[in-house]
Amino acid sequence: MRMTPPVILCGVLALLAAIAATVVYFPAAQQDWTPSEIYRERTAEEEAGRRIYLQNGCVYCHSQAIRAFDWDMGSERIAQAGDYVGDEPIQLGSQRTGPDLSQAGGEHPDDWHIAHFINPRFTRPSSIMPPFAWLGEERIRRLTRYVQSLGLRQADRRMERQAFWKAASVRAYEAGVEENVAWLTEQVPEGWRHIPNPYPTSAASLQRGQRIYQYFCIGCHGPIGDGMGPAQPWIYPPPLNFTVLKGRAISGGILYYQIMNGITGTAMPYFKRDLESQKIWEVGDYVARHFINQSDANEEPRGIDASWEP
Amino acid sequence: MKAAEAAIVHADRTARAFALTSALWFALATSFGMLAAGYLIAPDFLANVEYIHFGRVRPMHVNAVLFGFVTPGLLAAAFYFVPRLLRTPLFSESLGVFSACFWNAALAAGLAGVSLGYSQGREYAELPWAADLLIIAAFGLVIANLLLTVRRRTEPVLYVSIWYAAAAVVLTACTYALGNVVWKPDTGALKGIPDAILLWFYGHNVFGLLLSPLALGVAYYVLPIATRSPLYSHTLSLLGFWSLIVVYTHIGTHHLLQTPVPTWLKTISIVDSVAMVIPVMVFLINIWYTVKGKLGEIHADIGAKFVFTGTIYYFFVNIQGSMMALPDVQRITHYNNWVVGHAHIGVLGFAGVTALGGLYFILPRITGRPLFSRFLADLQYWLVLIGITGFAVVLTVVGLIQGQAWYNGETLYRTLPEIQPYYVLRLSLGLLILAGAYLGLYNVLRSLYFPRGGARCA
Repeated sequence: MRMTPPVILCGVLALLAAIAATVVYFPAAQQDWTPSEIYRERTAEEEAGRRIYLQNGCVYCHSQAIRAFDWDMGSERIAQAGDYVGDEPIQLGSQRTGPDLSQAGGEHPDDWHIAHFINPRFTRPSSIMPPFAWLGEERIRRLTRYVQSLGLRQADRRMERQAFWKAASVRAYEAGVEENVAWLTEQVPEGWRHIPNPYPTSAASLQRGQRIYQYFCIGCHGPIGDGMGPAQPWIYPPPLNFTVLKGRAISGGILYYQIMNGITGTAMPYFKRDLESQKIWEVGDYVARHFINQSDANEEPRGIDASWEP
Repeated sequence: MKAAEAAIVHADRTARAFALTSALWFALATSFGMLAAGYLIAPDFLANVEYIHFGRVRPMHVNAVLFGFVTPGLLAAAFYFVPRLLRTPLFSESLGVFSACFWNAALAAGLAGVSLGYSQGREYAELPWAADLLIIAAFGLVIANLLLTVRRRTEPVLYVSIWYAAAAVVLTACTYALGNVVWKPDTGALKGIPDAILLWFYGHNVFGLLLSPLALGVAYYVLPIATRSPLYSHTLSLLGFWSLIVVYTHIGTHHLLQTPVPTWLKTISIVDSVAMVIPVMVFLINIWYTVKGKLGEIHADIGAKFVFTGTIYYFFVNIQGSMMALPDVQRITHYNNWVVGHAHIGVLGFAGVTALGGLYFILPRITGRPLFSRFLADLQYWLVLIGITGFAVVLTVVGLIQGQAWYNGETLYRTLPEIQPYYVLRLSLGLLILAGAYLGLYNVLRSLYFPRGGARCA
């Protein structure tokens, strides 16, 4: 084969044209543009927030595509082509230095996001996301609107739920400690309220509990459990002060349930994905021993002793 | 040497300009990379400095490496070997120097745009629309100069390095315009899933149709000369060239195997990703047989030493790449630092090291005197070699930790404290590469403009 300039140039350009037609043009031409059931258009404010998301490279750390084998945030819904029909550009992403955000809308109330943008470690102590306080109040507000729209109609339903329970939790908080504790207790299903922590406290379990507290809880509830962590100024109702709970019938079961499930409407997230059963019991017992100064660990009724107990 | 050829005077001003461009941007791009690596281990470091915030400095790093360091470095070698292989002076040295200046201005404008918050938010296609047009124009100037040189050649046969250089710039001018969606200035993007398909078609071809062919062209030129050996096989050159163009162009969708794109397209990308062993092994067989038994000669020429090392990384990055395209492997390797490691082996280990080799091969031949310091070049070789090999190991390990943890149901948040020490290691290894980049800049500057003895020659 004699490689002359026309052979090279025409050859490579013809190949490029044919291949681009096959692997770029055909898929685009055949694309099904039917929106999925969760699709809706974004509002002007959400679009403005999306501009901030694009300009500041959020996509380098946050994907927006849930896979069939994911467990983390958003894994209730596997991504479908119809979810993206309004995205220009699409922000699927190539790396997860932070969690996938395709269903981030409504996972947290707005105040959690504000504190998190000011400094991500305020709400997530082990986060390695850089702070975004420099965006200023207005841009943080718009960015929050975009993040709260991720998941579209599913996000809207979650946001409605957040708004409803936010009002309820604010009412409870403003009614005073007595009423607030009563309200928080009422939200826990009856059975759970009467379950004491079934496992005995040990020096080792308290150390593990402390470690979990430092990785997950300290940003809001603070190093001495008084609810005055660095996130506190941005969060309302403010983080719970554990030190006033002594003698208020806070069982191990209540602590476990609230840590596992979170309290929708407040900044208290669920930890069922992050923490396995043992970790939840132990961080709950750490809070009970150190901050409430009253633990029901290992009290009756506790059932048959666990096989590992000494 | 024929009398007519001896009479040709190569001014090489274009090659010098691109060499300087490459050395300068290597230092800058690596500095951007260090900033980004710093944020990953200490996110409050330089917190709230808007213009170098992680999400802005990371694309600045990537674009500066691709279009500032590697491409101009390989083009410097191309502007050296194209006139010589064609036995004619370059069409226009003035146009060449202008194209290098224009190239720098276009890239600097694009990076300034990203830094100021005008990123278009598409990985590998971040530069704002106006900068895209400038970059395409810069490619146009380079293409014109190279093709017009081909037209006035006195050597009828085109050597394989010419094929690769011409194909790389011509094809990339097209894919750049296509991938950056230049007909839509406001977003620079398509809508929905087709945007992702186009983006990765383009993004992968920055490597497949720009860096790889340019680097292979340099290897095909440097290694036979350094070892004074004829090329092993013309037939393999042909097979390697055409199979590279055909196979590489198909595989971008392997970045999207876990997203809702058409299954037939995923299948094509997987099959062709595995088929990448054909162009890669054909090239490697050809070039390794060419230099067989001549490692002494390669070792003697620092330029050839870099280029030969580049071919070894080419082997690794492509075997790894073919493997990573398999869906079962990708369940673990996708979305984490494994891919970052892969990208660094490819762009720095193969293409970047080859570009450095091209620079050190041509600099003494352009200036007519030895490199300012062979020792510094050797030191840079080892700094980059240790740095990039360490990167490959560390990032692969982190990737496996992340991928396995996620696959087994651990949340991402839980893995962050586990991977922190590896980010520290990665930054430490990056310091070696950073030191290598600045030593290289010093060496190139001294070799070109301020040689030993103090007399300034330009």
